[in-house]
Amino acid sequence: MYGSASTDHLPTNAPTGLENEDPILLAEFEARIARGEKIEPNDWMPALYRKQLIRMIEQHAHSEIIGSLPEGTWITRAPGFRRKMAQMAKVQDEVGHAQLLYSAAETLGKTREQMLSDLINGKSKYSNVFNYPAYTWADSNVISWLIDAGAIVNQMANAKGSYGPYCRALDRICAEEAFHLKYGHDAVVHLATGTPTQRRMIQEALNRWWAPIMTFFGPSDKMSVHTEILMRWKVKMASNDHCRQQFLDMYVPKIWEVGLTLPDPNLRKNEETGQWEFTEPDWEDFKRVINGDGPCNAERLAVRRAAEENGAWVRRALLSPKAQYVRPLA
Amino acid sequence: MNSLDPRITRLGLPDAPPPPPDKLALDQFETYEAFHQKKEGTAYAYVGPVHAPSADVAFLFAKEQYSRRFACTGMWVVPTTSVHLSPYADDNASVYDELPAAEQTGNASTAEQQEEALYTAGDEDYDIFHLKKRGKAHVHVGRVRATSPAAALQVAKAVFGDQRPVVNVWVVRSADVLRSDDEDRDIWLTTPEKKYRDAMAYRVQDKIERFKQEQKNAPQV
Ligand SMILES: [Fe+2]
Ligand SMILES: [Fe+2]
Ligand SMILES: [Fe+2]
Repeated sequence: MYGSASTDHLPTNAPTGLENEDPILLAEFEARIARGEKIEPNDWMPALYRKQLIRMIEQHAHSEIIGSLPEGTWITRAPGFRRKMAQMAKVQDEVGHAQLLYSAAETLGKTREQMLSDLINGKSKYSNVFNYPAYTWADSNVISWLIDAGAIVNQMANAKGSYGPYCRALDRICAEEAFHLKYGHDAVVHLATGTPTQRRMIQEALNRWWAPIMTFFGPSDKMSVHTEILMRWKVKMASNDHCRQQFLDMYVPKIWEVGLTLPDPNLRKNEETGQWEFTEPDWEDFKRVINGDGPCNAERLAVRRAAEENGAWVRRALLSPKAQYVRPLA
Repeated sequence: MNSLDPRITRLGLPDAPPPPPDKLALDQFETYEAFHQKKEGTAYAYVGPVHAPSADVAFLFAKEQYSRRFACTGMWVVPTTSVHLSPYADDNASVYDELPAAEQTGNASTAEQQEEALYTAGDEDYDIFHLKKRGKAHVHVGRVRATSPAAALQVAKAVFGDQRPVVNVWVVRSADVLRSDDEDRDIWLTTPEKKYRDAMAYRVQDKIERFKQEQKNAPQV
């Protein structure tokens, strides 16, 4: 998921409800997934599958829409016309990702209205990294490169999951991310290889963002009945630790090669185990921020809410009295 | 509310507003399903849904959402309520096999005559889309004439039933499809001047190599 970090996982002792499912239908469902076939919206599925996918895809959608805010604030102040256009294109992509994902979640039975309401009234979560501010243009560049890089690790894994509509949305999203990653990398390298002032600026931004980035994939998964089932159902495709290791493997060398440093004296790759070692992130602080007490939580929701409320009269004016709701198909 | 972004500060948002009411039903409108033609002469394929208050607006949203980053040469939108679904079959199977056989129409003897009879018997055109594999997209296979969506599915079985695999069929009354006009073809030609949103436009590796070269040549301090 887009920063499993965002997910308040089901409590490990929560009932799976599997004992209430029809054993024959459940066996067919599991056999289909085991054969590598995708599940489509009209198929029978266990309640736990539906619930977890809605939660996951909805949070992913919220993360796209809230994630566009810190970068969005830098559009008007982007240095130069070309960067302004590129930044705008990226932000537009992210909002488009949210649209695709809301529709994918909607095929599972939660309306877009409910999801948007749950976002602005704080009932749903989004990736916790977006509760931190982008102080400078360099912060925005770090987001474009490294937060997107983290998101891509997740999205590439989830694109191989079992739910058809989510896979279709992710294929489209992953194709657009190639530009985000390159754009972000280029922007960071531009500053890192520039004047001493530019260099200092990007180093400071990286220092500010490293702690949130290390929490992006969430704490180590507790191996619970849930985790095991969700992996078997191809809802959860890789453990949080696995994603974090993959991210470090791909990006730490790229950060170091342009002479930037990372603010963790313990960060190193253990050549014997092949694993990255690092200072354990402050998960207490992570919990505090995700539960609302971060530097930007209130602002993110207030901005989202203002956009919703300011557009309400337009939507009301456009609504046809004959309109009739059905779920999107695929 | 004070923000790092002066525009947000200027909005004068309250610091602790009362919780918002839940959105009303249909605040986000109905949904439409969008199809695009990737290249001139190829079949239309499903790209995804959009929420919109009318077919015209759905078309604009679909163009923005689905052709902004992936060029196409045509687009169709259909209200979700107008799409009739067959059951879903397993991968590699044909859902047509699970449908009861179509009734023989008239006294047509050859398969070809039967097809012809089926085509002309009905009142209206229906567009038929096949899903070949779960997780992939529905693709337009052609049109049939019939008196109802259910009858159209039967006709589709007679006409396209030998195609394989067919996991699922969508049947849409052709009159319900809003189609881009061939004359407006130039609306799809907007991308060439937007290189900045292609990964290809960023030569980051050159910058890195140059940097490493400079580091090597720099006097050691
Ligand atoms: Fe995105
Ligand atoms: Fe992003
Ligand atoms: Fe992105």
